[in-house]
Amino acid sequence: MSGHRQPLLMLAVAAVGVALPFVIPDYRAQIAMLWALVIMAQTWDITGGQTGYNSFGNILFFGVGMYASVVVQRDVGLDFFPGLVLGMVVGAGIAAALAVLLGSMILRMRGHYFAIATLGLGIAAGEIAGGWDYLGAGSGLSPPLFPAPPGTANLFFAYLYFGVAALVFVALAALYRTRFGLALNAIRDNEDKAEAMGLHTGVYKVTAWTMAAFVLGLVGGAMGNMLGFVDPRDTAFAGATFGVWMVLMAILGGKGTLWGPVLGAVIFHITQELLWTHLLGWQRVALGVIIVGIVVFFPQGILGWARTRWPARHEHQGHGSERA
Amino acid sequence: MLKGWAVAIGSAALGLSILAAGDAQAKVEGDTVYLGAAVSLTGKYTTAGEHTQRGYDLAVKTINDAGGITVGGNTYRLEVIYYDDESTPARGAQLAERLINQDGVDFMLGPYSSGLTKAIAPVTEQYGVPMVEANGASLQLFNKGYRYLFAVLSTTEQYLASAVALAAEIAEREGRDPATLKLAGAFENDPFSQDIRAGVIADAEKFGIQVVIDDQLPPELNDMAATLAKTKAVKPDILVVSGHSKGAALAVRQVEEMRVDVPMLAITHCDSADVIGKFGAASEYTLCASQWAPTLSYQDDVFGSAADYAATFEAEYGYAPPYQAAESSAAVIVFADAFERAGGFGKDAVRDALAATEMQTFYGNIRFDETGKNIAKPMVLYQIQDGAYVVVAPTKWAASEVRHPTPPWSER
Repeated sequence: MSGHRQPLLMLAVAAVGVALPFVIPDYRAQIAMLWALVIMAQTWDITGGQTGYNSFGNILFFGVGMYASVVVQRDVGLDFFPGLVLGMVVGAGIAAALAVLLGSMILRMRGHYFAIATLGLGIAAGEIAGGWDYLGAGSGLSPPLFPAPPGTANLFFAYLYFGVAALVFVALAALYRTRFGLALNAIRDNEDKAEAMGLHTGVYKVTAWTMAAFVLGLVGGAMGNMLGFVDPRDTAFAGATFGVWMVLMAILGGKGTLWGPVLGAVIFHITQELLWTHLLGWQRVALGVIIVGIVVFFPQGILGWARTRWPARHEHQGHGSERA
Repeated sequence: MLKGWAVAIGSAALGLSILAAGDAQAKVEGDTVYLGAAVSLTGKYTTAGEHTQRGYDLAVKTINDAGGITVGGNTYRLEVIYYDDESTPARGAQLAERLINQDGVDFMLGPYSSGLTKAIAPVTEQYGVPMVEANGASLQLFNKGYRYLFAVLSTTEQYLASAVALAAEIAEREGRDPATLKLAGAFENDPFSQDIRAGVIADAEKFGIQVVIDDQLPPELNDMAATLAKTKAVKPDILVVSGHSKGAALAVRQVEEMRVDVPMLAITHCDSADVIGKFGAASEYTLCASQWAPTLSYQDDVFGSAADYAATFEAEYGYAPPYQAAESSAAVIVFADAFERAGGFGKDAVRDALAATEMQTFYGNIRFDETGKNIAKPMVLYQIQDGAYVVVAPTKWAASEVRHPTPPWSER
């Protein structure tokens, strides 16, 4: 889409985001989850789509944020909201620090090697958390109950996640227009050439991953409270669900685009909710069929497909935010 | 392009609104009372989740066939709205929200497993929705001050306590100091099994029994050869294994395969794993913690005696009811009783009626303490003898003497 239409579209989405919890108040829990999934897809795309580094380990940062937040709430002795905010920030900080540390090591690997290295991260973290008594080990942790009338928790989380998703979107839109964004794309398109041109690719890659980690730490930090129970493998380091979904949603919508992950998350979430209701016990099979269908028929994602289908509309790229 | 997007977003919003339009306040519709339940139809708890669902279904069907429940002079039928929680707590919590908000359910039946119950209880608590659960035994569920949570089953610390006590008793009878006994344990790393572990360790300490192996089993639970190799080396007097149905099947299978000689093997979930059917003679002598047995002398108006329940269940589903099914049925009976006593469907009235429950069901006596756990029903300990589950402890219910020690494999 061309540059001058972008703000209009963003405004429209923002209006939907603000109104939605009141238009369909019974669906606040799903709306909150929807925006959380949008953020997961957006952050995955920073490295996966824009930089060309497919990470299967971003769930690590999500889980770290979740645990850190609930532990802070448990041990620091603050009231609910200050505790939650502090916990989210601490969680995001730890996640970012981990990204710097791990990133400076494994982001030197390329292609499949990087992907496989990241695959182990979430699994290892789940095992560690599952054996660590301070974190409740296999019994998990229960966050404090939300201190407000029923239903308000979902409203709170719906707006919290919407706010974060909107901020992340605006920040990424701005970021992808800068030299930094171009550098990420350059790494994706040809890393050796980028390096030969004098880009410190390592710094760019680690920075990109750290940004994703920070935001995912925030998301995880709030998610522990939203779900009400922290389990090492099934909610925190849930590689088989959230971990895979964030990749899937970005690919579904169109990776390496600004709107793709958002679109992918919306479609994925709605599809999943519908399958859940109408195909008791078979919802995963149906989802699997849909995933195969997407990979076969829309390998470039929906936006990628649209671009091939109607190339004229995509001729004049206003900026570097979209895949060439 | 903008147009395209507007259409996409518009249809997404429309999709959600259509979902919303289908939303019915379903708590009591006409003469039907809806109960909500998230159960594990897929994922690692599939087997036990199915027993849970069948237990609920059988009780609902039996109550409805007998004319339903009478509340405030009107008769009502029960119906359960199910979702599949996929054996993960994240799903469970979301589905509880969905049942309460979108489906308008005011009363919940529990999911399968302590982990799922831990995830769902905060949600039901928040909305003041009474939940009667039958498959969340972790003691940690009952120290959170929940007011709307009621559990018909015995809590985890009691599961294998009778096995440890039995071992100590046998040792004393044989003129041996229980403190000389050695215990080996392997427990899945999940909320339920870790609670079982805490109970077993505490009981071992009580008798001064030495814990020589204390292993964690991964949730994938495909192999416990490492633990069993150690067991062969240190020769404990008791081997305790807990890991839901998969853990039970694994323990019995690998103890046989590796020819591990241990005088006493005590596990949980034998009947839901159908270890007799799967392993036959190899399962002999195994001790199994059970919430319930068809030979117990409890009865109620819905199913009759425990044996009658077993017969009804078997006629319906073609296999003997594991206790997970029995306790799930009991949860429905408890709800039905509370509705009738509350005389209406107010959430708090029903909650108070549940708190005041004092009844006998085919599954056992039900009386909740202030934390919501049932304190009126003991656990029983089965032993597999000649291809059947026989109650061997506690003494009051014992149908037969325990066969001890288990002979070595070379003599079996």
